[in-house]
Amino acid sequence: MHAIEFHKLTKYYGKARGIIEVDFNVEEGEIFGFIGPNGAGKSTAIRTILGLIFPTSGSADIFGRDCIKYGPEIRENIGYLPSEVFYYEKMKVIDLLKYSAGFYKKDCTKRLYELADIMELDLKRRIEDLSYGNKKKVGIVQGLLHQPKLIILDEPTSGLDPLMQQKFFDIISEENSKGSTVFFSSHILAEVQELCSRVAIIKEGKIIKLEDIKTLRQDNYKKIVVKGDNLDSSAYRIEGVSEMTGDTRTLNFFYRGDINKLSRIISSQKIEDILIQEPTLEEIFMHYYK
Amino acid sequence: MNIVLRELRSNLKSLIIWSGCMATLILIMMMEFEAYYDNPEMAGLLDAMPQALMKAFSIAGPNLTTLIGFVSIASVYFYIMLGIFAVLLGSSIISKEERDKTAEFFLTLPISRTRAISAKLIAAVINCLLLTGVTAAALYSSAAPYNPDQEFLRFFRLLMSALFIIQMIFLSTGMCTAAVIKHYKKSGNYSVYTLLTAYIISVVISMDNKIDFLKYFTPFKYFEAQYIAASGELELKYLIISAVIIIAGFTGTYLIYPKRDLYI
Repeated sequence: MHAIEFHKLTKYYGKARGIIEVDFNVEEGEIFGFIGPNGAGKSTAIRTILGLIFPTSGSADIFGRDCIKYGPEIRENIGYLPSEVFYYEKMKVIDLLKYSAGFYKKDCTKRLYELADIMELDLKRRIEDLSYGNKKKVGIVQGLLHQPKLIILDEPTSGLDPLMQQKFFDIISEENSKGSTVFFSSHILAEVQELCSRVAIIKEGKIIKLEDIKTLRQDNYKKIVVKGDNLDSSAYRIEGVSEMTGDTRTLNFFYRGDINKLSRIISSQKIEDILIQEPTLEEIFMHYYK
Repeated sequence: MNIVLRELRSNLKSLIIWSGCMATLILIMMMEFEAYYDNPEMAGLLDAMPQALMKAFSIAGPNLTTLIGFVSIASVYFYIMLGIFAVLLGSSIISKEERDKTAEFFLTLPISRTRAISAKLIAAVINCLLLTGVTAAALYSSAAPYNPDQEFLRFFRLLMSALFIIQMIFLSTGMCTAAVIKHYKKSGNYSVYTLLTAYIISVVISMDNKIDFLKYFTPFKYFEAQYIAASGELELKYLIISAVIIIAGFTGTYLIYPKRDLYI
């Protein structure tokens, strides 16, 4: 059985495009990446399968059941972390978490405290006194306390410091190893690459690529900036270099291929500085999917 | 049950403020009554005022020097105040999940929107009952010094029932408005506009009885205190109309809200 099945799911807000004929499956037990730039329709797709908004056409099934018709039953097994978390401002963290836990049929108390402990969450504070990052931590605990079979994350890492991000990824990996399916939406390719087995790439509401992360890694472009006094761009004319710009002082280009070949060229010249970066998603779109 | 308790708690502050205001207003009003009570001079003074003005403020007719007469005049203001409370409560109790952006939390819990409405409806009705209760208690206790007789008590009971019915009319209107209109700011505004329109219609009708048929469009005219005082009952036709409005409003909420996109 698939954890999520999209069947030509389409959503328009009036005339404005949300998503168009999104159609793919997320297998049970995998960590699935859902990437695309802001405004591509990631949140729209997620909100539709959660029943917050309704499809214009098409449908989606979660664990084999229609997400609109069986919404409440399905959500029993879903943990959702929205990109921005908002809770009842006047409530204390612990009251909010207990309130949330009260809606699930099982006893979630133990897991609640475990997660709060891992995320170093102060349970006695009021929601309104929390920083953005701390609210996000509440969101993580709230989304996971009932040990859901399907975890839906919408840009989960914004607002978390690197240490907390790592802890969060560890929790997600642990939940996944216990059998939970994870649907992970993000606009940062690197974090998706780290965790996911497969990805769908969405652009302007349409899925443009559905791929194994391994394949994606093989095509891995690097964005390279070399600085020096008297650089010779012709030395870099090897296979895999593209979009070469710049002058004798700075060279910008993309490289895909054996990194050793490139490092030999770089080491043969006198340079001042070198920068090797992950391309942004926009750059990937420009280069992969012209 | 959890949701009902949470709603009650989150609305407690507003309920206390409203209760305080109603109680204070009633106490002040009844202190004023001391000057009117059994005072023929005051009756003469009022008779000298222009009729149109009296009608606009709906103080033409009743005898202000009796308890029933005095309370009758205040009744329309009770209707308005508690109506405002109910209409705002109804619209906000539905739309606040969107306003506070908590919809993404609350409505992704394993509950149906229908269940959410039911819990909110129960909490809202309890709030209205409590506010009617406070109003009744304040009015009753401040009327006690003026020897309320059996006739007043019957009038008082009917008036409080009417007050609660009016609250239910506006509660259902407010909830239904918030269910229909996605944007929370607009739904709050429209709810209040509806109430104000109803009030203005009722004032206009008082001044010009040629447009009496408009009565059906304003709940403020359904249970006029003078009628209650004179007849000792709530008029059946308006009870039926009220029931229809209330049921329509709540049904609309149940039908529309679970099917509409949330504004997030």
